[in-house]
Amino acid sequence: MTMTYALEAKGLSVRYGGVTANDGVSMRIAPGEIRGLIGPNGAGKSTFIDALSGRRATAAGSVHLAGRDITALGVVERRLLGLSRSFQRTSIFPGMRIGAQMELAASKIPDADADEVMRELGLDRFADRHANEIGYGDQRRLDIALALVGRPSVLLLDEPMAGLSIEESMKLARHLRELARHWGVSVLLVEHDMEVVFGISDSITVLETGKLLAEGAPAEIRAHPKVREAYLGSAA
Amino acid sequence: MSATLTAPALDGAQVKRASRLPRLLSLTSVAVAVGLAVSMLVESNTVMSLLTQAVIYAVFALGLGFLLKQNGMVSFGHALFFGLSGYLVGVGASLTGSVGTVVVLTIAGIGFFAFALALVIVRVPGIAFGMLTLAIGQSFYVLVSKSRGVTGGADGMSIEFPPRVFGLEIGAFQDPASMFLISWLALVALVLALSLLLGTRFGPLTEAIRENEERVRFIGFRTLLPRAVVFAISAMVTAVGGALSALYTGFVSPESLHWSVSGTVLIMVVLGGSRTLWGPAVGAVVYYLFRDYVGEHTTHWMGIFGVSLIAVIVLWPAGIAGGVMHAVERIKRGSGRHA
Ligand SMILES: Nc1ncnc2c1ncn2[C@@H]1O[C@H](COP(=O)(O)OP(=O)(O)O)[C@@H](O)[C@H]1O
Ligand SMILES: [Mg+2]
Repeated sequence: MTMTYALEAKGLSVRYGGVTANDGVSMRIAPGEIRGLIGPNGAGKSTFIDALSGRRATAAGSVHLAGRDITALGVVERRLLGLSRSFQRTSIFPGMRIGAQMELAASKIPDADADEVMRELGLDRFADRHANEIGYGDQRRLDIALALVGRPSVLLLDEPMAGLSIEESMKLARHLRELARHWGVSVLLVEHDMEVVFGISDSITVLETGKLLAEGAPAEIRAHPKVREAYLGSAA
Repeated sequence: MSATLTAPALDGAQVKRASRLPRLLSLTSVAVAVGLAVSMLVESNTVMSLLTQAVIYAVFALGLGFLLKQNGMVSFGHALFFGLSGYLVGVGASLTGSVGTVVVLTIAGIGFFAFALALVIVRVPGIAFGMLTLAIGQSFYVLVSKSRGVTGGADGMSIEFPPRVFGLEIGAFQDPASMFLISWLALVALVLALSLLLGTRFGPLTEAIRENEERVRFIGFRTLLPRAVVFAISAMVTAVGGALSALYTGFVSPESLHWSVSGTVLIMVVLGGSRTLWGPAVGAVVYYLFRDYVGEHTTHWMGIFGVSLIAVIVLWPAGIAGGVMHAVERIKRGSGRHA
């Protein structure tokens, strides 16, 4: 039996000049799965998200969305096919009203509901405010909201909790669970907060210096000797 | 299931959109009335010709400001579209009697030309884009100055217009009193047309591209085409100004393509403020009135103007229009609190 993965990366490599930031990374994410992606700073997590989302050209490998090879497609096509992402460095439209930018994001995708996403992320009360007038945590959630519009099938989140309060992080974590459970959205979650990652993920992938170090259920990863040595040990 | 439960309520944005059109139309009527009043009340021919020139340059500034507002890009070569429009109208008028058609074709042609050009040059970022527009503008300046046969070269070109243009006597375009009104109506119509355009998705889309082009692609929009369209529209509006100028003076010279003209109009845009459509137009009128008033009293008007410009930029970074909008908002908020 062959299973169709929501997202599949086969041997992805990305180079910045002489630096190999991703070195033959493969990953399969099932529909509705939350996959944690961890690794020390500079391990290549953001680069991996850039490669999957089409922001960065790959030197080798391929990307498949619901079984379809999308390696040759650009950022726009990938987004319209349901592969969406947020950014580690908040990427919003500072001088625009929040309602207006959410509506714009919704206008390209059939049946997308900007108001619903704003309500879910607690942004509805800011609809008439400019994005540069709201707090940092709210801006982070706006970044995620822009990615969530239209219920993408795969959501790539690059450290979405950074800068959020513990309470906000918990709320966002619950929300991601909900998205995965009820809407079948697959989530690739890069996150520094180990408690969040281990608490929320169905499975976890560990990267180190651009290479896949380990992959498995949270309990397996916690017990993995190489992971403990390379990463968790030093972080704890 | 959940879709049947939520009634399609009118949200804030929809209400805002619905109330936009009546407001736009009433503002347009006021603007038309102001133009009529000025043309009837001002008797001095000198003042009228000053105002006519100011309004023609206000059209130019509207075009240049639109590019800055919707694209965040500064062009130092927009005089190209102004001057080229004048030359095309002039050459066209020497070939055929139907100058109305010539004007329409000229503006459409400049739109296509600018669009094709933009597909290449809007990819160039920031200051380099400005330098590129400067270089392109200057090369046309040189070309026009050197092509004596067609353009009359450095001496410029006198245009022979037929007796009637757009159903009006040519005299109507060359008498300041009536030309002021014609130019004013053109300006108001263009502001209205651009406002309506920005009320569609094109408005927020281009604004978003100006704010953060990369993120726009990540919400599913291509960005090159909208940016090129903004550039083309900007050039076409500027070309309307060039055509009005040619009709008014019956003369075009290479100087109208010179980069210093682009620079002067850019000053008008900054002075008026580019966050609103009408800001640059106000900047143009203020510029002309200021130059006339101060120029009468001193020969150092450029220096005084420069200092005043710096003062405006420091006090109101968003220009005169920005300062006015800020004041209006404060008054609104203030009265809202007391109501
Ligand atoms: N734009 C870039 N140019 C050159 N090197 C880069 C660039 N972005 C990241 N890198 C390098 O690639 C490696 C992986 O970076 P990154 O993907 O940001 O890691 P992570 O997100 O896991 O912290 C690092 O060595 C980093 O210095
Ligand atoms: Mg990173």
